[in-house]
Amino acid sequence: MHEHDPDLIAALADGSLDDETEARALIESCDRCLSEYQDQVEVLALLVATPTARMNDLERAALHRDIWTELRRSPSRTGITPWWVRWSYVAAGLFVTVGLVSVLNGQFLSIGGDSAGEAFSEIGSGLDDTGAGGEQAPLTAADADEGAESATTTAAAEEAALPYPFADLADEARANRDLAEDRSSQFSTEAGEVEECLELSGLADQVLVEELDLDRRYLVMMPEGETGDLTVTFVALDDCEIVYVDG
Amino acid sequence: MTSAGHETELLARVVSGDRDAFDDVMRAHEDRVFSVCLRILDDRERALDATQDTFLTVFRKASQFQGRSAVGTWIYRIAVNTCYDQIRRAKRRPIESLPDHVDPSDPSAEEAIESAALRPEIEIALAAVPAEFRNAVILSDLEGLSLPEVAEILEVPIGTVKSRVFRGRRMLARQLGNQNTS
Repeated sequence: MHEHDPDLIAALADGSLDDETEARALIESCDRCLSEYQDQVEVLALLVATPTARMNDLERAALHRDIWTELRRSPSRTGITPWWVRWSYVAAGLFVTVGLVSVLNGQFLSIGGDSAGEAFSEIGSGLDDTGAGGEQAPLTAADADEGAESATTTAAAEEAALPYPFADLADEARANRDLAEDRSSQFSTEAGEVEECLELSGLADQVLVEELDLDRRYLVMMPEGETGDLTVTFVALDDCEIVYVDG
Repeated sequence: MTSAGHETELLARVVSGDRDAFDDVMRAHEDRVFSVCLRILDDRERALDATQDTFLTVFRKASQFQGRSAVGTWIYRIAVNTCYDQIRRAKRRPIESLPDHVDPSDPSAEEAIESAALRPEIEIALAAVPAEFRNAVILSDLEGLSLPEVAEILEVPIGTVKSRVFRGRRMLARQLGNQNTS
């Protein structure tokens, strides 16, 4: 007499046995086993015939947008520092270093061969004077050169200080334009707020290709009906200001 | 390079901050993750949320992947655990029927929703099967994963998976039989 063996019956039903002899013998000699086998086959046929669930294009686009938005919003939790954060650190570090070197050089030039202790004392008093609104020493040629370098670094730091890598986001907007074209705003706003904002910023004739819900809510706009390397404009929804234009 | 080797390589690139690699990993697995989540949660919006949470976790924990299983198996385990979290959270908040970004009047959205739906009698019967048996049946019979894969994902021995699949199907058969007789 065969022993009731659920695993064997299930395996026979889903066709995963290399040798079915033993299982076939089992269901032929055991009414309960046969009934179990028929139930398993019947249910399996129903389940296997069920189509795979898939996202539609809208859901897929929303999923990708939401994931990338979330990863940009809190990249530090990934343990991976994105390139634009790393470069902003480098730019900030460079800015501080150049600024410090420029202050130190200026002070050393003006005090000549004084000792280091005196030099730092002078620097301290110079900083105090500046903070108190006192007069500053005239700029030397070396100061002027370093000033120009500082200005360049300041521009780089300001670029890095943008809250998000808009140039990178613009590239993504161009790449995803086909998916997003002609979409209407998904932001929960008062009626007409988005349209009014686009009128104010002079972009009413452009296509809304993406929306970003970051530190502020941004509308990502591109010209209608053009192809190639298009201009991408980012408009902050709260004050309708254009915050960045790429291209 | 094998598919498994390629995926492991992709995940290593994700760890080093390669966005394209993460995008490739996501696109390779997003449909099945969504499908698993939809079957477990039986709610499209929650399945999309769970899919999103799954891939955020994949990105953030990519460095913790040990390579003991296939990348896909690791991802589906995260998906199943994310769904369990969703179920726990759902007990504390009301459920809405459709996501905001799906326009019900959009024919493609409607079509997608209908094609993904289980036949009503199967859906009702599955809902009556206890979760541990239902999830084994979903992964094994609906998603077509192997028993070792299901065991990895559910973090139980293969013998337990076999037993759960067998008993899950039997419960399902009984539920369907009850529906036919009622």
